Amino acid sequence: MEFNIISPKTKSELLAAIRREKHFRFGAGCTDLLMELRKKPNENLTIINLSKVIDAQFTGIKKSAKGLRLGALFTAHNIVVNEEIQTGFSALHNAALSLASNQIRQVATIGGNLCTASPSGDISCALTALEAECEILSAAGKIRTVPITSFFTGVRQTALKKNEVLYGIAVSANKKNAKNIFSNFIKVGTRRSMECSVVSLAYHIQTDENGKIIKAGAALGASAPTVRFAKTACEFLIGKNFNTISQKDKEDFAAKVLSYASPITDIRATAWYRKEVLFNISKSIFENPCK
Amino acid sequence: MAKKLKVIGTPVPKHDANIRVTGKAIYGHDIMLPCMLHGAILRTEHPSAVIESIDVSDAKKLPGVICVITADDADVNNIGYKRDHPILKKGEANCTRDEIAAVAAETKEIALNALKLIKVKYKVRKGIYNTDDALKVNAPQINKFISGKFENKNIAEKFHYEHGNLEEQKKKSKHIISRKFTLPRMTHACMATSNITASFNMVDKKLLLYSSTQVPFLYQRDMAHALKMNPSDIRVIQPVIGGGFGSKLDMHPFEPICALLSMKTGRPVQILYSREEEFIASPIRQPMEIELTAGVDNKGNFTFREINIVKDNGAYTSWGATTPFVIMQAFSSLYKVKAVTFNSTAVYTNNVFAGSFRGYGNPQATFALERVIDLLADELGMDKAAIRLLNANEQGETTGQGLHFETCGHKECLETVISKSKYSKKRTSKEGDRYKIGIGLASMLHVGGGAKIYRSDGCGTILKIDPYGYCTIITGSNEIGQGSETVLAMIAAEELGIELKKIKVINTDTDVKPWDVGVHASRTSFVAGNSLLGAIKILKEKLNKKAAELLKTNHSNFEYSDNKIISLKSNDSIALDKVVREMHFSEPNELAIADYFYEPSSKFQDKDFKGNVSGTYAFASQAIEVEVDTYTGNVKVLNVYVAQDVGRVLNPLLLDGQIEGGVIQGVGYALTEELLMNEGKIMNPNFHNYKMLTAADVPNIHFFPVETIDKEGPYGAKGVGEASLIPTAAAISNAVCNALGLEILDLPITPEKILKALSLRSTNSKLKVNTNSL
Repeated sequence: MEFNIISPKTKSELLAAIRREKHFRFGAGCTDLLMELRKKPNENLTIINLSKVIDAQFTGIKKSAKGLRLGALFTAHNIVVNEEIQTGFSALHNAALSLASNQIRQVATIGGNLCTASPSGDISCALTALEAECEILSAAGKIRTVPITSFFTGVRQTALKKNEVLYGIAVSANKKNAKNIFSNFIKVGTRRSMECSVVSLAYHIQTDENGKIIKAGAALGASAPTVRFAKTACEFLIGKNFNTISQKDKEDFAAKVLSYASPITDIRATAWYRKEVLFNISKSIFENPCK
Repeated sequence: MAKKLKVIGTPVPKHDANIRVTGKAIYGHDIMLPCMLHGAILRTEHPSAVIESIDVSDAKKLPGVICVITADDADVNNIGYKRDHPILKKGEANCTRDEIAAVAAETKEIALNALKLIKVKYKVRKGIYNTDDALKVNAPQINKFISGKFENKNIAEKFHYEHGNLEEQKKKSKHIISRKFTLPRMTHACMATSNITASFNMVDKKLLLYSSTQVPFLYQRDMAHALKMNPSDIRVIQPVIGGGFGSKLDMHPFEPICALLSMKTGRPVQILYSREEEFIASPIRQPMEIELTAGVDNKGNFTFREINIVKDNGAYTSWGATTPFVIMQAFSSLYKVKAVTFNSTAVYTNNVFAGSFRGYGNPQATFALERVIDLLADELGMDKAAIRLLNANEQGETTGQGLHFETCGHKECLETVISKSKYSKKRTSKEGDRYKIGIGLASMLHVGGGAKIYRSDGCGTILKIDPYGYCTIITGSNEIGQGSETVLAMIAAEELGIELKKIKVINTDTDVKPWDVGVHASRTSFVAGNSLLGAIKILKEKLNKKAAELLKTNHSNFEYSDNKIISLKSNDSIALDKVVREMHFSEPNELAIADYFYEPSSKFQDKDFKGNVSGTYAFASQAIEVEVDTYTGNVKVLNVYVAQDVGRVLNPLLLDGQIEGGVIQGVGYALTEELLMNEGKIMNPNFHNYKMLTAADVPNIHFFPVETIDKEGPYGAKGVGEASLIPTAAAISNAVCNALGLEILDLPITPEKILKALSLRSTNSKLKVNTNSL
């Protein structure tokens, strides 16, 4: 595995590097990139190492009335220890916590998880359930935003253009009248750490004081070419009472989630298993929401 | 053993713990010799192919490449237990691991780049990847180096054993159960990957090897045979070893290849496996199919067992082919049984070949046996704990195979885990509950005092005390992480009254240390411990004589304590170092040194595999509680209750380590670990997809040692290294069956298998679903 590496230290150095380099890849924590390059060596490749960029917009988190903005270089560890995320957005907290191991979480970044665009990306799945917005920076310094549901375009493919870099992620604040938030990330695999999701489900459901669902987000991972937002399943829940939802409605919700799945059979599981489990864990969110 | 023990039985931390955790330990990977080259091996692209040509000319031209070899450059003998394994393959490839060529270069990167320049022309063949196909009459012969003494050309090895009258016992049986079990490939996945550094001296024609072998003296002999050398011209030094678990019992081709590269270049050469190479080219636990038929009489007594095993031998024969030696012991002697007929056949295929792995076939046998015991109890309507207690082995018993249990903690082990786990308490899960709880029970029997499979199962010790009162133990046995160095130091401290920090253990150099068979069969503390005790006795006689002279007494009733020799009669004492100095420097000028060779009382078994093969036997029982998630099929191991007849606890801290490590390896075998193969190729050669468990998966382990104080063992101790892994998969399987009412007939019990079985049953609640058919 041979490559050149350049390590810009500021945003302007980074943009200059993007403009200058012909054949490059971004690397931040490099937890996915190194594995990929080991499998598929890439000749004359330059890695633009993002981990040395000192820029709060890239590395920090900012809270506003609209919600949270997380820089693309915010690490999984940063997510895990952030109280705001832990209390307001458990799905994201738990997804980050379920990622690999403590050591890897120190370097793995949100940007890396999203831009790898793996169907089993855990942070990607949680952010999809949260209907996050991706902030994209061009080499010319222009910013555009893309809803996360449009960010993933295929297996390991994103809406990023050649001269663009992911800048940050915006997560909307929870609704003002939300009294209860049922938010979790369910990861199914054989090990309790160092595991790649065989199936995953993230959900973020907000209810009023009576338990009536006023906003719902649910996303499925490792079940389709990309992480997917289960739109009809979420719409189905609006107006229903989370605490008293009927068995039929639970199963209808699960069936609607399942309709977004088109899993493959691979070394980790068959398509049959993935579908079966996705259905089961989807209906389970009402049974033991915190389990 | 009336004397109160001061050191033995205390939790002394591992002798080498500090150097390991501070990164100061020198592993094989850390060795750097002057002018050292780096070796790399080209393996076949196809598991079964004719090798039409090998062109190494471009590789040789690459700057920095010093030597490239193929089979044509090597005047060597085959290796392996049956000598059916060429070090470098010529003419054909039969296994994905096959070594085609090897390179020595100035750097590792150059060596790896040179491999890419070697052009091999293959004519790909349709390989044989299962034993049924291999046994077909028209199947081609896979291994051309065997004598063909069996009825089928692809049979590598067979074992037959029997005792009792099978037909008579069948007639006496009220119930007979027959099942076929399938066991997977599991790999050791040692923390340190395989490694070797070879340095051949062109002047004196001697070979120095830094090797992680578990059996240095057998290795020396095997290496000499392979390279056509004199064994004593080969010196084997063991650096710190990062995991053995049986994987380093066989000598593997990369080792003589590395030696050959050094012999050709006259420079030291090092070969280090990458992690991927470690998964592909290091050994595995034998995959096998076990057909077991067993009977029980109307009172619950076991009547007979009939066993047929077919093992996938892979393309070459390793020590793995001899595991029936241990497997038959479990079937013949675990629980009392009146008649047993055992047959096993190892069949060549184009798959990867097995090796030895902690438990040596016993986890497979115990899984099948303990599952069938549960089924027999069900048929009889008998409690699963009661049927085991009724048939448990007893002290003084000599089994049908001739194993003699001078001490036996089997019943106590069973009773302990049954009571501690509250086994009989009903674990109720309601219909429709997502999580189902179950509990399973299993026992095991394993050699606990070595295993006489070579002419000697002995171990030598040279013991000396220097004029400063420090003690050096030069032992034939070696340390692979199991803690034998610590236990030996503790024994010397106990007996000689010397502080632990003044005791050194020398055990890494075949030019220095006396002979020993090696680390295997849970034997080291038992055999090396007894050997050391023998040497201590001799040395004490010498020291006593001098001490008596110096203390001007004519008796020899001394106690060794606090670095002193104390007269028990007068309470006078003299410093140990002073006694040694007087021995050295005053007439008749003697060294404070002794040597001893210990040979266990065990017997070599006869041609029918009968005889008392071990100095003593270890017993263990485990009760394991699981929670099964019926939504995902995941099994969570909640509690593992372990009771093990360890003879005597020598060091509770190290013992806990062995128990916990073994149990976790057993949980992996039961639930997650499988080296997946497709058409002879390994599909998951990485930790990503080879699901070895992590710290987060470790269950609660409750350990209760059972002390039976065996007179053969040092202070009464028995071997413990393998036992803790052996019954784990069996107990977990029984627990999952208890939780779900399914039949588990194969391992690992993956979430997918569980969900599939549950789904099948949901369509027909009366269906008896077993996992082997999925």
